[in-house]
Amino acid sequence: MSESIIVCKEVHKWFGNFHALKGVGMEVKKGEVVVIFGPSGSGKSTFIRTINRLEEHQRGTIIVDGIELTHDIRNIAAIRSEIGMVFQQFNLFPHLTVMQNITLAPIWVHKWPKDKAEEIAMQLLERVGIPEQAHKYPGQLSGGQQQRVAIARALAMQPKIMLFDEPTSALDPEMIKEVLDVMAELAKSGMTMLVVTHEMGFARAVADRMFFFDQGQIVESGSPEDIFKKPKEERTKLFLSQILSH
Amino acid sequence: MERAESSSIKPPVTSLGVLGWLRANLFSSWINSLLTILTLILIYFFGRVLVIWSVREANWSAVTNNLGVLTWGRYPNTEVWRLGVSLILIVLMGVLTWVQWSRQENQRSRPVLLAGWLMMPFVLTILIRGITMPTFRTIINNIGYYIVHPDVLIALDQTWRANAALTLTGLLAGASWMIFQKRRSRILTNVGALVVLALMVPLSTLSQPWIFGLRTPMAIPMLLTFGLCLLIGRAVGRSFTNMVGRAHVLGAIWMISLPIVVIVLTTFEVGNEAVDPVEALMIVPPNIWSGILLTLSLSVVSIAASFPIGVLLALGRRSSLPVVKGFSILFIELVRGVPLISILFMAQVMLPLFLPLGVNIDRVLRAMAGMILFTAAYLAEIVRGGLQAVRNEQVEAARALGLNEFLVTSLVVLPQALRAVIPPIMGQFVSIFKDTSLVAIVGLLDVLAVGQSVIKAREYLGAVREIYLFAGLFYFVFSYAMSQASRRLEARLGVVESE
Ligand SMILES: Nc1ncnc2c1ncn2[C@@H]1O[C@H](COP(=O)(O)OP(=O)(O)OP(=O)(O)O)[C@@H](O)[C@H]1O
Ligand SMILES: [Mg+2]
Repeated sequence: MSESIIVCKEVHKWFGNFHALKGVGMEVKKGEVVVIFGPSGSGKSTFIRTINRLEEHQRGTIIVDGIELTHDIRNIAAIRSEIGMVFQQFNLFPHLTVMQNITLAPIWVHKWPKDKAEEIAMQLLERVGIPEQAHKYPGQLSGGQQQRVAIARALAMQPKIMLFDEPTSALDPEMIKEVLDVMAELAKSGMTMLVVTHEMGFARAVADRMFFFDQGQIVESGSPEDIFKKPKEERTKLFLSQILSH
Repeated sequence: MERAESSSIKPPVTSLGVLGWLRANLFSSWINSLLTILTLILIYFFGRVLVIWSVREANWSAVTNNLGVLTWGRYPNTEVWRLGVSLILIVLMGVLTWVQWSRQENQRSRPVLLAGWLMMPFVLTILIRGITMPTFRTIINNIGYYIVHPDVLIALDQTWRANAALTLTGLLAGASWMIFQKRRSRILTNVGALVVLALMVPLSTLSQPWIFGLRTPMAIPMLLTFGLCLLIGRAVGRSFTNMVGRAHVLGAIWMISLPIVVIVLTTFEVGNEAVDPVEALMIVPPNIWSGILLTLSLSVVSIAASFPIGVLLALGRRSSLPVVKGFSILFIELVRGVPLISILFMAQVMLPLFLPLGVNIDRVLRAMAGMILFTAAYLAEIVRGGLQAVRNEQVEAARALGLNEFLVTSLVVLPQALRAVIPPIMGQFVSIFKDTSLVAIVGLLDVLAVGQSVIKAREYLGAVREIYLFAGLFYFVFSYAMSQASRRLEARLGVVESE
């Protein structure tokens, strides 16, 4: 449990002239669940997207599972297949069935035989609670079901790390719980998770550490206990009072 | 829990019966009734004239007596059975595909069907155009001749044979080295590649000018060709590593390819003595294809060949490589800026300029080339529209799963992009089908042109209407079938889009 699987040092990112990440540093240990929160536009998405290189950072170092993220295309492919990602808008492939969505990458990237991939996909669908939807298309499912499929799709690659970018913010309130339950179960199973979310109940129950982002920087970090009970920074306090008052 | 339970309440009955339907659709208001009645009167008036004319006055013998000419034109009568076989093959494949499509759960026959469709162009070409095969004796003779006198290929200006052999072998070897990583399963590949390379040895020591008049031993350009194809083959093979365990497929491909390579390399003609070709199927050069045969082969070839080219151009246009992008844009804009007729003329007169001396392609093939390029440019723009419709989030989701750029494009982006543009693509196909009639201008005899020549014959002099009606009907039937197919395809694939 001691070694760091993600090491970020002094990560900077610009969009044109806009300085989106201003020297972000973070170390995540194996099996840790990290919750990232902060106001809109603070760079949360940008940061977790640098970890699987959907965004390129321009300064600083990011090391994932001992591999440094550079321009080397081989590294990127290796890294990406070790990191699962779940998006706010699910981003399932609408032209493929649920089963095909899940087996696509295992078959083409891991080169698993189709039977094996489908068997594992079925197990994952059972784990997220919707095995009976395997042969439907994403468009025929509810938002909560789609997001659970998206989680299963990411897990099918047997990643070491899972990134969640506001996985429940596009969901109707009654569906949020079914997705959070799956995530909590995943956390319990020992998965390393980076979760951008404003579901503070989830954070309190599941997170090992929390990071508060504002204006491209980490303003404060600590255990949920510390963050909720005795936040050090004024900005954290203010933000928490805003979102907890809902 | 999420499955629909059967409930005791039935949905309300919505069917109306004939009278109800009539009332709801044709006579729902006084203006609708008026329009219905007016339309019926018009249909009656025109229909009556047409029926009376076609029953009492029309001289259909102009069509019936010339059905053969209109259909296969100057194709030798003794060989027409080959067209029949081709037709049966196409219909058979169509039906098989249809059956496999409607039974979704049975996916196992899919690769077989796909392979069948991929082989169709070759099979049909051989069937319709004919083929000359060297006898076994010729091959042995020529191999011997070639080994003793490798310069024969240079003297005959046929070094392309060596390059063709190397290209095929390189691609195959590259792919199968990638697919089969175990040493044992590589034996066939190694032997195959070695045989071909050994065959190249005699030729490789000779020198010949190749690029910029540079004169070097042939070994250098040959190794370059081989190496390049090896790399391409590897790149392709890497995406198919999940074929492991399908050794027999690749084995079969090698077994078929090796003899082809040897035949390609050694079927050159040396004077009269060494050649002993057997015309397995009498050669009917495309030049004399005419009538419906010409119309259909022009359309099928331009449709089938322009589609992949159009897709590549569309991808090229969005490429980040400036040269690829520039070329695609230049090509698309140039072609789209010129009417089809001028492209057809240019294909006739310009194409020979681009071909090596001595390669003389026939006029029908030139017309095909022109139509392919023309259609490809328009398809490229249609497909580009489809590509733009695919949201970038889809690309990100695919990348995040670890798919490389090739797989992202071919498994996620293209399928969605193409689905979105089925109707305009089919529209383009229908349009190029009808535009094949323009080849008459460059002197080819498509169904319309044959019809016109029939009319000029003395015995059918008055039968203008009948012939044109026949031609019109022919075009309509095929165009209609195509647009129906398009709608089916859309309905079938459209289920998916309801996001
Ligand atoms: N591709 C881009 N080009 C230009 N600017 C961008 C781009 N992506 C993000 N930004 C900017 O970077 C900043 C950080 O964006 P980011 O999406 O990381 O914020 P966030 O913390 O995830 O916010 P939210 O809670 O709204 O998702 C924002 O100001 C945004 O406008
Ligand atoms: Mg965000």
